[in-house]
Amino acid sequence: MAYSNKVLDHYNNPRNVGTLDKGQTNVGTGIVGAPECGDVMKLQIEVEGDRIVDAKFKTFGCGSAIASSSLATEWIKGKTIGEALAVKNTEIVEELALPPVKIHCSVLAEDAIKSAIADFKAKRGTQIGGQA
Amino acid sequence: MSPCPQDAHCPQCPHCNGALETPLACSTCGALLSVAPETPPHLILDMELAWACADDDLQRNHRRFSRMVHPDFYATAAPAERELAEHNSALLNSAYDILADDLTRAEWLLEHLGGPTDKEERQMPQEFLMEVMDWNETLAAHACGQSSDEDLDSLRRDLHARRAAVAADLGRHLDPLPEPGAPALLEVRRLLNAARYIERSLEHAAADQA
Repeated sequence: MAYSNKVLDHYNNPRNVGTLDKGQTNVGTGIVGAPECGDVMKLQIEVEGDRIVDAKFKTFGCGSAIASSSLATEWIKGKTIGEALAVKNTEIVEELALPPVKIHCSVLAEDAIKSAIADFKAKRGTQIGGQA
Repeated sequence: MSPCPQDAHCPQCPHCNGALETPLACSTCGALLSVAPETPPHLILDMELAWACADDDLQRNHRRFSRMVHPDFYATAAPAERELAEHNSALLNSAYDILADDLTRAEWLLEHLGGPTDKEERQMPQEFLMEVMDWNETLAAHACGQSSDEDLDSLRRDLHARRAAVAADLGRHLDPLPEPGAPALLEVRRLLNAARYIERSLEHAAADQA
C-alpha cells in the first residue's frame, strides 16, 4: 500500500511529538488504542481559559496512525475546546488521503482528542470542588 | 472415536458408509472427501467443542489425519484428487493452528458463540493503555540503544507472564462454555483485545532481539 505524500510528510517530520506534564491541572491526557492492530496513541492538551495553547502526541503504530495524530495536534492547537471537539475523523481521512483500510487510524486520532478533552474537563471539575 | 449413538446423526462416508472420524477423508476406505465450507476446526480434528483441548489428543489426531490427506501420497493421482488433498491438508493445518493456541482457540470459540467482535468492543481501561505506552517506550528506547538488554529481557518476561495470565483468565470464562450472548463473552473479548496488545509488543521485542 502506498502512503500519500501528506502521510509521508507527517511521518518523516511529525509535528508536536512529546509529552506535557500530566500532573498539571490545565493538561488533559488521552490514551487510546486499536485492538485490531495493537496501535496506541497518547494525545495531550494544555488549556488556558477555553483555548488549547499546546498539544503533544506520542504514537506507537503505523505511518497513518502517526500522521493522523500529528495532524490532529496541529489542527487543535489554538482552537477552543468546542472547536477541537468538532474535529471529525473524516476531515483527517480527506486531508491525508487515507485508504479505507487506514480509516481506523483517523478514528483513533479523533477519539484521542475527545479523550484528552474529557480528562481535562474531569480535572477542571474536581479543581473547583465539584461545583461545575 | 466413540461409537455412534443409535439416535444421533453420525457422519458416514458417502462411498463405503463407514463412520467418519474427520470430514476430510474416510479412514475405512481411504477416500478423500470434499468438506463443507466453514466446517468448524473441532469437527475437522475430531475434538470436543470446548475450551479444554488436550495437547496429546490434538497432536495425535492431527498426525493421524495428516497421513490420510497428505499431498505426498497423491503425487501420482489425477489432478483433481491431488488438488483435493492439498486443499484438505491446508484445512487440517489451519484447524490445528486455531485449536493449538489458547488465544486463537478462544477467538474462534467467541465468534462461534456470537460474542462481540473487536470492532464492537474496543474500549480498554486507561491504566492498561498507559502500560502499553510504557512497553512501547521501553522497546523504542532499546531499539535506539538507550536501554540495556536486561531491560528488554525483563519486559519480555513480563509480557510472557501477562500472556499466560490472560490465557488462564480466558479458561475461567470459557470453561464450561458460556451460553451464546452470555455476559462472560464480553469479558472474553476484552481479554483477547488485551492479548493483542501484549502479542504485538512481544513481536516487537523479538524483532529487536533478532
